Formats: sequence, C-alpha cells, structure tokens
Amino acid sequence: MCTDHSDVQTRDPAEATISLTINSHACAAFPNETILSCARRHGLYIPTLCELEDIDHAPGTCRVCVVEIVQSGRAAAQIVTACNTPVREGMQVATRTKRVRNMQKLQVELLMADHLQDCATCVRHGDCELQDLAQFVGLTENRFFDRARTLAREVDDSSPALIRDMQRCVRCQRCVAVCRYHQKVDALVMSGTGVNRYVDLRDGYDQKNSTCVTCGQCVLVCPTGALGERDETERALDYICDPDLTTVVQFAPAVRVAFGEEFGMPAGTNVEGQIIAACRKIGVDVVLDTNFAADVVIMEEGTELLGRLKRGQRPTFTSCCPAWINFAEIHYPDILPLLSSTKSPQQVLSTMAKTYLPEKMGIAPEKVRVISIMPCTAKKDEAVRPQLVHDGLPETDVVLTTREFARLLRREGIDLKDLEPSTFDNPLMSEYSGAGAIFGTTGGVMEAAVRTIYAVVNGHELEQIDLTQLRGFEGARSATVDLGGQIGEVKVAMVHGLGDTRAIVEAVRAGEADFDFIEVMACPGGCVDGGGSLRSKRAYLPLAMARRKTIYDVDRTARVRQSHNNEQVKTLYRDFLEAPNSRKAHDLLHTHYTDRRREMEHTVKEIWDDITMSTMVY
Amino acid sequence: MTHIVYGVWDGVVHDSRQSADAAQATLPELTDFDEFDAGNPIRAFFGDRGFLVFDETVSLVDALFHYMEKAAEQSCGACTPCRMGTVLVRDALDKMRRGLESPLGFDDIEMLGEQMRQTSLCGLGQTCAVALLDALRNFRNKMEAETADHMPIRAQIGMAYMTAPCIEACPSKVNVPRYIDYIRDGKPENSLGVLLQKYPMAATCGRVCVRYCEQACRRKFVDEAVGIKTLKRYVADQQKGPNALKFTRDMIRKPLDPAMRVAVIGAGPAGISCAYHLLLHGYHVDVFEKSNEAGGMAQIGIPSYRLPKDTLALETDIIVDLGGRFLFGQQLGRDVTIDGLFAQGYKAVFLGLGCQAGTSLGVAGEAEARGGYYSGIDFLLSVHDHVDGIAPLALAGEVVVVGGGNVAMDCVRSAVRLGAEKVHVVYRRTLEDMPADHEEVVAANEEDIAFHTLTNPTRILTQAGRITGVELVRMEQTEPDESGRRKVRPVPGSDFTLPCDTFISAIGQQVEDGALVEDDGVTLDKWRCVATDQTLATSRPGVFAGGDCVTGPSTLIYAMAAGLKAARSIDDWIQRGTVRFFKRSRMRKLIADNRILANDVVEMPVRNAYRVHNPELDPELRKKMFGEVEQTISEQDAYAEAQRCMRCYRIYSVVTKHPIPEGAA
Repeated sequence: MCTDHSDVQTRDPAEATISLTINSHACAAFPNETILSCARRHGLYIPTLCELEDIDHAPGTCRVCVVEIVQSGRAAAQIVTACNTPVREGMQVATRTKRVRNMQKLQVELLMADHLQDCATCVRHGDCELQDLAQFVGLTENRFFDRARTLAREVDDSSPALIRDMQRCVRCQRCVAVCRYHQKVDALVMSGTGVNRYVDLRDGYDQKNSTCVTCGQCVLVCPTGALGERDETERALDYICDPDLTTVVQFAPAVRVAFGEEFGMPAGTNVEGQIIAACRKIGVDVVLDTNFAADVVIMEEGTELLGRLKRGQRPTFTSCCPAWINFAEIHYPDILPLLSSTKSPQQVLSTMAKTYLPEKMGIAPEKVRVISIMPCTAKKDEAVRPQLVHDGLPETDVVLTTREFARLLRREGIDLKDLEPSTFDNPLMSEYSGAGAIFGTTGGVMEAAVRTIYAVVNGHELEQIDLTQLRGFEGARSATVDLGGQIGEVKVAMVHGLGDTRAIVEAVRAGEADFDFIEVMACPGGCVDGGGSLRSKRAYLPLAMARRKTIYDVDRTARVRQSHNNEQVKTLYRDFLEAPNSRKAHDLLHTHYTDRRREMEHTVKEIWDDITMSTMVY
Repeated sequence: MTHIVYGVWDGVVHDSRQSADAAQATLPELTDFDEFDAGNPIRAFFGDRGFLVFDETVSLVDALFHYMEKAAEQSCGACTPCRMGTVLVRDALDKMRRGLESPLGFDDIEMLGEQMRQTSLCGLGQTCAVALLDALRNFRNKMEAETADHMPIRAQIGMAYMTAPCIEACPSKVNVPRYIDYIRDGKPENSLGVLLQKYPMAATCGRVCVRYCEQACRRKFVDEAVGIKTLKRYVADQQKGPNALKFTRDMIRKPLDPAMRVAVIGAGPAGISCAYHLLLHGYHVDVFEKSNEAGGMAQIGIPSYRLPKDTLALETDIIVDLGGRFLFGQQLGRDVTIDGLFAQGYKAVFLGLGCQAGTSLGVAGEAEARGGYYSGIDFLLSVHDHVDGIAPLALAGEVVVVGGGNVAMDCVRSAVRLGAEKVHVVYRRTLEDMPADHEEVVAANEEDIAFHTLTNPTRILTQAGRITGVELVRMEQTEPDESGRRKVRPVPGSDFTLPCDTFISAIGQQVEDGALVEDDGVTLDKWRCVATDQTLATSRPGVFAGGDCVTGPSTLIYAMAAGLKAARSIDDWIQRGTVRFFKRSRMRKLIADNRILANDVVEMPVRNAYRVHNPELDPELRKKMFGEVEQTISEQDAYAEAQRCMRCYRIYSVVTKHPIPEGAA
C-alpha cells in the first residue's frame, strides 16, 4: 500500500518537471509520481482494479494496469504496472499495444479463475467493478474457472451486520487498507498463501467475535460482492406483506439526502417525500421519522449532559453511533462510564413505536414490527444487542441499509423518480426540528445539543442558531461554546472516522484532553457517508459534500430549529414520558454498555501451527 | 568448469548433443555440479537464471513440474499472475508427466509463464518461469517428445529450495521476506513465530545484530536497504505488551526420556540457542554458567543503553519456560569437568564458552599499569556491575580507548555516561576501516567522542602503577599491495602524548585460559580456539562447540546460528551415533560457490520510499544515562517499512540420480 499522501491534484504544475510520453502524447509529471496518476491527469485511461486513489491505495496486487515502457537510454521494452511504477525522464509509455492488451485481458481471466461468477445472485449485480473491468479489457474467454476450487473458499455469515464472501474476493486489499490506515481499527488481516490467500479477521475469529466494529467502510470500498451487509429485504417483505401486522418504517436523517443517486438523481437531492411515498406504495402501515427521535435524544442526552456538567463529570461521549459503541466496548472498555446512556435515535423511535404509538393509536404492541432504514451496517448489530431485546422481542425488528432499501424498491418495481413526493401524516412521531435533521453529519449532534442546552440553562433561545464554528470537516475539531448561566463555557470536540476517534480516546485516557462533551461518528463524514449507504464505484465518499449541504439546507429552512420546540416531542413528554430523564424515560430510552474486550492470548505453538513457510524447523 | 549436455544459462543456449564442439556446452564460471552428496550425481539444475542438464535422459516436463510445484506452494498469493499461474502451470505439467490429457498445451503454458515473468509483483513470480520459458522456447521438441506417447514419465528424484539474498546472507538463515510479509499481513505474532523457529533471542537480535541481511538487501539499488533489524525489533517488542506469546511445553512435539540429558556450558547466545533447540527436540537441558546471570556477552558485553537487561532476561527466561535449568556459578574447569558431566549421565556436552579474556596491546608500560587499566571486556563488565548497582563506577579526567570495533564503541559510549571529562578513541586505521557498525560510530560522534584515527599507542605512562598518559604515534597508509589492501605504518617523528587517567584496550578477546585443559580431550587450534569440524563436533566424541570459543570474537547472530547447528548435530549424534547430511546446507553451498544469487540490479523503476528509523533520545540527554537510546517504531511505521520489501525470492532445484539423504529438519 502506498503511504505517500502527497496529493498530485493540488500540486503546483510548475513542479511537474519530468517529461515523458504516454502513447506518444507528451506528458509532464511530478517527480516520483506514478505512471497511472500521470496518465489520469492527462485524461488517458488505464484499466485498474485493486488501486483506489481516494484511500491512497495502490498495493500493486491485481496486476491489471500493466503498460509497456521503454526507459531512456534503453532499447528493450519492459512491462510494468502503472499504479506503482514511477515516471522517469524520457520514459516512453504505451498503454494500448497488442501485447499490453493481451496481458491485461489474461490478468482478468486469471482473476476470474477463482471468482464465483454467479452474478445474478450477487449483491453487486450490475454495480460491480470486476464486471466493468472484464468489459474494459474485452474479456471473451473464461478458460481457467474452477468452480470446486472457488466454492471451497470461506463465506463468513456469523455477523448480524456484515457478510464476508471470499468466493467473490479478488484480494485487492482495499478493505484491509481502509480498516488499517483510515479507520485504524485494524481488524482485518491477510491469511493463507497462494490460491488459499484470503482476507481474514485478526486472530482468526469469525466476524461476529472479532475486533471488527461493523462500521462498514470496507463494504464501501469493496469492488465486488465479497463484502456486503446481511440482506434482510426478504424479512422486511414478510412483515410488510403480513396483513396481521402493523409495519412501522423509520428512516434516518441521512437517508433522504443519500438515496436519490441510486435512481439517477443529482447527488444530495432530498428525496424525503419520495421515500414516504414509496413506503406507502409497498404497503407500510405507518411511516415515522428517525429525525423525530433525534430530537428526543437531544432532550434526554442534553439533560443527562447538563447533570454531568453540574456534577463535574467530564468528558461525556455521545452514544448515537453504534459502530462507536462497538469500538468503545471492544477496544476501550475502560471509557464506557464516560458514554451517555441515552439510546440511539433508531432505538428511541423503535421503543416509542412499541409503547407510546400503540397506546395512542389503539393497536396491539405485539403486532407492531419496526423496519428501520439506515445508512449504516452497525445499526443491524445494534438492533440485536441483548440490552435492546426484551423477552426475545427486539425493539427494532429489521434494519435495512440504504442499499437494501434500494433493492427492495426495485423488487417492487418502483423507480423513485416516478413517484410524487408525499408528506408524513403520523401525528405522533414524524415532526422534526432542524436540530434533529443535522444528526446525519459530523458536528450535527453537538450543534443540536448546544441549541437545546443553551435554552434550558438560560431560559431563552440561542440568538445565533447556526453554530458554524462546529461545522468544519477536519477529522477532529474542537471549540469552546458559552452555554451561559451557571454552566458558562464548555469545551466540545467532534470527531468523525475511527482513526481520529482512537486518537482522542487515547488522549482522554492519558488525561491530555480537556473536553466536556465529545461527539463521535465512526464513519468519516458521519452518517451521510455511512457504511450502509450507496456504493460508489472506484471512489470513496465522493458525494460527502453535496449530501452535507442538503442536510444543512433542511435545517436552515426548517420551521422549528430546536429539538425542545418540536411540538410532537413536547406532546410525547406531556402525555407519556413526563419529563426528560424521568424514571419512565430512563426505563425506556436509556441503556448500558458492557466490556467486550477481545483478549488475545496465543502460545508460540498455536502461532507455529498457523505459519506457512518453506523451512519450518518445528 | 562445468560441462553440460544442454541447457540455457543467463539467456545463452548451450547444446552439445549434435555439436562436436564441447566448448559450446561448457560454463567455465560454474563449479561443483558433479555430485550432490557423495556418490549421487546431479543430473540437472534449475534456477532463476536458467537450467543445466547434465544427463540427457532427464525429463524436462517432470523436472519443471517439481520446480513449479515448489513455486505454487510458496506463492504468497498477493498478485494475480503468480497466484493462479503457478497453480495452472503446475497442474498442466502434472497431467502431462502422468501421461494424462492436459487442459493446457505448451502454448498455453508458455503464455502463462510469460505473464508470470513479466507481470508478477515480486521476485518469486518474476523468476519462477525463467527456466520454464527457456526450456519451452529452446527445447520444446524435447518436451513434446517426452509427452508424445501419453505414457507416464518415470518420476525423478531431487529437491527444490527457495531462498533470497537476505536469507543466504543471514548466518541463521532466517526467512526474512516471510517475517516481513507477516507484518504486511497484519500478523506481527506470526512474524515473531518465524524468528523463533531459528532462535529465542529476537528482541536482542533486533537491537544489536550487525545485519548481514541488510547488506545483501536488493532494495539498496532503489533507495536504501529495508530496515530488517528495525522490523525484527518491532515484532519482538510485542512480547513486552499484553499480547506476548506464551512459551509452553506443548511446543515440544516429542519429549524424550528423562535420561536424555544434555549439558550446555555457557549461557551466552550460542549456549542459549543450543539449549533452546535441544529443548524443542525433547531433551532435558542443563545450562552451566559461571556468572550469576544468563546472556553471556549479550549480558555483560553490550551496554544497557543498547540492550536493556530486562529485554534480554525476558528472552533467556524462555529456556526456563521450556523446562531447561540454569546452574549459575558453575565454571568449567573449576566447578565442573567434561569427564564429570559424562559421569553424571549427560549424553552430550555443548561448549559455548565465548571469548571473555581481553587481549593486551603488548606495548611498553602495559605490564606496570595497574590503576586505571582495563581490557575492553573487563571495563564493560564493570559497567554492567555499575548499572546493576553491584559496584558503582565513576570515571573522571581523560579516557583513552584503543580499538575500532563495536566493543571499543561500547567502551567510549559507556565512559562518557560514567562522567569522564573527555573520551578518546584511538584506532590505527582509517575511520572507514573501523569494523564497528556505522550507526555506532555515528552515535559515538554525536556524543562528543574524540576520534584519533591512523594513530597507535606506543607506550603507557605510569606513576607508581597509576596511569598518567599515553604516548601515541601517527600512522599512514601504504600504497595498495597486489591484493589492493593498504597497510599502515608509523610516521617517524610523529609521536605525541595524551594525558590519560583511564586506559582501555579494546582490540579483541580470546578464550579464557584454564577453562579447557587438554586432558579433557578437547583440542584447541593455533589461535587457542576450540577446534571443531563442519558439524561443530570437537575432537572428543559427544562434545560439540560453537560461538566465539570456536570462531574467535564474532557476532551474536553467528553464535546463535552455531547453537542451532550444534543442536542438530547433537540430536543426530545421540540418536544415531553420527551426524547426517544436511541437504539445505549443500544447496546453499552450491548457490554460494557459484554466486548464483547474483547481486543483480533492479531494472524496473520503483518508487522511492526511504526507510523509517527508530526514534532516538537526544544525544545531550542520553550521554548522561544508561537507558535505551533507540526506541521501538510505531505500528504505522512498521507497516510502511514492511511495504518496502521486494521479496527477492528465488527457487533452485536439482534432479539427482539417487535419493538425497534426509537430514535434520
């Protein structure tokens, strides 16, 4: 993997001092730049597979991007991979010779030799980088495919969230890189040698029992169907199609701004209305909004935080991100007392949908099934947490990622573009404030919390509602906010991406971090680019900014912009929960965490049994 | 000079079958191909530079199958062409040699071979099809003839061996690319497991090894050698954390009868390594050590700022974890004798005595100098006692150290930490000639040591036995002789005097007198080292020796390698009464004698990525303390450094007339 983080796109063209030719075009390249990077800057296409520029990943393992070079002063042509071979002065590069094309084609054919090609049953059907690649290189033969060898490879379906299907893995190692260098969870390793090489979980555990936190970033970078979510569209349909059940759908703040692309709409289009319409069309009984629950979370978490501030307990970490909860429980269990006990918006809404809603609507709670549409794979994991399942009945019945929801709509023959947008009609749990809406992006929870806590402390609203000082996009940001009253200034921090999260957690543990409140979102960018959102081919998080902008637009144009001013939230507390952090609220809307540290203790013998090497002595 | 029947070497085709010109099939630069082991002719040889056939009846198809089988078995699987190509070619050749219909013909095999050679990621894939392509392109008719009748080809005998320049350079033959691969894979514990196959003292080696491997590393043709030692230390230092690997008795696959006891004399690197391997072979091992701590020269001879004592102790304790016993305060010749050990029932004895007596300079005044005079090794022993709090040592005034090796550097750097006002190092040759590690010389320079190169002491000045100064003379280099070597000679009239309070002679060590007496039946050589044969057997049956006491002062890694070799020999000797042929050693000799692992330059452009360095303490701070100067690299740095390895694996195989004798694993 390339660890050189210099971004050639932003470099001064005057530094491009190396002259070379690519297919006889004169090109200027930066010193130590790769042939591939130079070719791309000059608009010349070279087929690639394992390489992914957005995560600075060029392991040179697929060997598809071969080109022919003649180095200055040499006569003989050499074959090299464009992704990791640097340019040299006077180099002549040829990307389209017969020899190169044949080698590229043969490489893809060799990749296909142990790649399960049951494309029709693959989650990436029609959206697969390997299929595209086969077309780019003009693959016409498949001489080496060995079905038995392929089927012998592992499929790990132990996790409620993620499926790891090695029968479709092309060993590009993008998942390993994003987990190791970006999320810094480092849960993935490479195991085995030769044709038995595969992506494995650290210490040989299955996905469920590993150090993986199911953030799903690996899924976003996987070029094929080797990594994906556990598909639950079938179970969702079972509920929707059962006339005896009341199906309730909720969808997350980020889903509405990160879904239209699937149906050809511009990035960041707000399709809230179309999603509501689609849900009704497929037979969902009640459509609720997770944004409403986000407002409730602010009431609970804000009150909790205020109490902790008054008691001098600091810092407090947010608790709405389930991958973060997994991360804390598995990697840093000692900090669990610092986490807010408030459930996530998904679980708050599900809980209310099985208590408050049936009570007010006069339906049987046991007939309610909650289907949650989330841009998140970890939400699937959250839904089956033992703390959130009562007497065998889960609060949330099914979690569908944004991708599965798209699949579900396609199964129902629905094209979002053709739908007339609709509006929420549930009088109990569908109104939301701008504060609830911005939960979907980094800094949003913090901003929402500050708006409400300020009002609680001071008895009047914050004048400057847009807290732009919280809206940066750096991986870790901090700010000082004056909450007035007896609280005064508080120090807050916002991190997104687990790499930066790890750093801030380490700092907190070392006593080097001076913060009162820390918002954590495990996915870089926050939920708008969650591990359950739509995949982009050959790109990582390319649409983050467009989605984020729409989220802030929703807030800006919202009628109500503070959680505590949400009328339905007020009603909920008045008619049902009594008050934030009341006993009833505590019973229903708060949870607890457990130490799930994975102890790894190996003997030398175990390690020796795992080693493959030509000359094992013992 | 080697005569072949036919073959291709470095792209040149040789064929004496139709030609009367014998010279056409003679490779003057190659030797030693007559027989593999005694009475067992080599019929053919395959490698990364081509293949040589010495016996016309050899089947190329079968030989290339065996070669490719090794490649497929060893392919790491990272890149597409090697992962799949080796398997497809192997399977096709296998079908052919069995007389079965192969799905792939010779054209397909050639296509795959070319793909592997041209597009593979590492040295294994790039070279494993060279011989195959040479054969297919120049002797295809021979291969077609072998398969024409679709009858099984008679199976041939031989062996295949995979190696790399760094592996061959390492005395212990550690599989360096493999342990670097495991770091890349995210498995530092497996990486450590690779090292532990060869020796228990990985963290020690990761700190003080002289790195023969890095000298052989081909990455230096791109930018700098891979930081092999730095990575070794990184994986070994995981042992300090919560994820330490546990050493358990179940590592010992076949524990032997309690009567199977071996005595190891000396708990230095050679003895520890020998004891470790004997324990893993199932023996019951007692280690006799004259001092009260294990580690030998690594314990007393390497200052704690380079090798913390707890790091070393963690590794010598492995012997105890495996059921071995240390018997401290037991000196050979004083407390135990070889006769006595055999009488006690030990089946064999390993001598790892080391070279612990300093060598005197032989200059005037040396005999009179009583106060302030040390041999290098005695001085380091005093430093060790100081750090341990046994006997405080403080220096004042000027310290002069004579010598240019690592011991001399250890002495000057320790002296500065003990409060000396000024520390000088005197060396008779040039700075470049100093045998000490370059890093040590640089570090000493940073710590304000005065270097006097091309200088030699002539007299030590004393007053009532107390050193007051040293007389020195400037040296000059002579013109190079026929061998190109430049000697040094004194410059007449260039004498000068340095004031001196402490004088340390660090010019070498030898085996201590009295440790061995000829009555023990162990012969010494003319340098008064223990004489051994190739198997490390001494003149006395059942007594083996290794490390500095055999070679004279040498390195940690040579001593540990000797420990492994001696353990193999001892096992064979006890179980069979004789030491067996070791086929991998023979293959290595063939490769080394013919310089087959050529130091070939890297032809492809490779992106520069300079090596990471161990973080170091500031020189001004570290001058005052014996805490470790170099720190362990971070996980991210380890990943980055591991990416730099180009995996220069090569496969070599021989076809022999008779089965190659099986030796120790």
